[in-house]
Amino acid sequence: MSDNGDFEPKIVQFCCNWCSYTGADLAGSCRLQYPTNTRVVRVMCTGMIHPNMVIDALTKGADGVLICGCHIGDCHYIDGNERMKSRAATIEMLLEDFGIEPERFRLEWVSASEAQRFVEVVNNFVKDIKELGPNPFA
Amino acid sequence: MPVKIAEEWLTTCGGCEITLLDVGEPLLEILPELEFVHMPVLMDHKYSGQAGENPGTLVIPEADIGFISGGIRHEENRHVAEEMRKKVNTLVAVGACANFGGIPALANMYTVEDIIKMAYDETETTDAHPVPDDDLPKLEERVSAVSEVVKVDVALPGCPTTPELYVQAITALLKGEALVLPERSVCDDCPMKREKKAVTEIKRPLEKPDWPADKPIEEVRCLMEQGYLCLGPVTHSACGGEEKIPRCIKAHMPCRGCFGLIREGANPQIDMMTALSSIGLNPRQIEDRRAMFNRFVGAQGRLRPLPQRR
Repeated sequence: MSDNGDFEPKIVQFCCNWCSYTGADLAGSCRLQYPTNTRVVRVMCTGMIHPNMVIDALTKGADGVLICGCHIGDCHYIDGNERMKSRAATIEMLLEDFGIEPERFRLEWVSASEAQRFVEVVNNFVKDIKELGPNPFA
Repeated sequence: MPVKIAEEWLTTCGGCEITLLDVGEPLLEILPELEFVHMPVLMDHKYSGQAGENPGTLVIPEADIGFISGGIRHEENRHVAEEMRKKVNTLVAVGACANFGGIPALANMYTVEDIIKMAYDETETTDAHPVPDDDLPKLEERVSAVSEVVKVDVALPGCPTTPELYVQAITALLKGEALVLPERSVCDDCPMKREKKAVTEIKRPLEKPDWPADKPIEEVRCLMEQGYLCLGPVTHSACGGEEKIPRCIKAHMPCRGCFGLIREGANPQIDMMTALSSIGLNPRQIEDRRAMFNRFVGAQGRLRPLPQRR
């Protein structure tokens, strides 16, 4: 931890259009403060996030990937987030094979009204990645 | 005037050269138009002059078409590849090794120090002795594909590539065209029957598939669906020749992926593991997944030593 003091991680965050991105919007409207380490990418549904996108981000310079989607049962497309959930297991296996710490990838559910939760999720992830240090996969 | 051809082999087994000899009758038709000016596997042609009169130089005659098989493992390979690029107009990378690193690129999973230690020191059957280094080209950190070192104009993948592809490539080049293989996967050309039902367990290819001798191939069930790990979905198709039945499938074996990537930038491991998961298989059942999915495509950064966990 001590040598990571000045480390500002780059984090790619995928947010689904219907819940988490709206939640992020609400966090902004409420003027809630959270770290600027994440770069939010809006996707229509977490179910469209191919493992390629996660692995590509982590092998090409990102220190972490955070995926936020609707709570299970709330998906705008019925079961997109469940697909993402089952894919997360494959992504973790791939991270193992690529020699990337599985902690650099996280899947969270944030609904459109949960601005406070969005901030907490980002805060926690940034804190954990800071503790983990820079991505060894140069 | 015949077209001059130079051929070089780098880190490779020589199978692609054998394939050129294996072309058979079509070779007789195109042979009068070709003149082989340099081919170490067939001709006694010394790099530094026939009597070694120019030590330390590398002389490759000029040619219109250059074939290179094999990847770049050490300094000499790199030197020869660069010299070939200077001396030929059109450079053709032949085989899985030249295009994707091939089998030798499996070594990219380890550091050079580890490989040398294993080869000269740690193996049970080897008496430890010093590593020879006099007048030997230095090993590079990784096995590279030829295209990582010099510009390649035409790619003929495969381990080894096929006689048909050689003929197609040479015929096209004689007309002044470059052969471009269509972007198709092995599954696109595979005639086996797909029922789209998930299997539960991955079998090893040592086990015999359910393949009755009296049934035509169209009525036999897809080997992946039978539980054999087949790299068809993530492998470029071109191995079937005229009849388009993939080579390994014809021999009742699942595809091993020797024709490499379907398109540039693809990663067969990610695609294949995602595909396996989506049909309900757990890729954890597969031994040594990294090597299995990157068996012929370890160069271009796809295989590398795992970083140490901090």
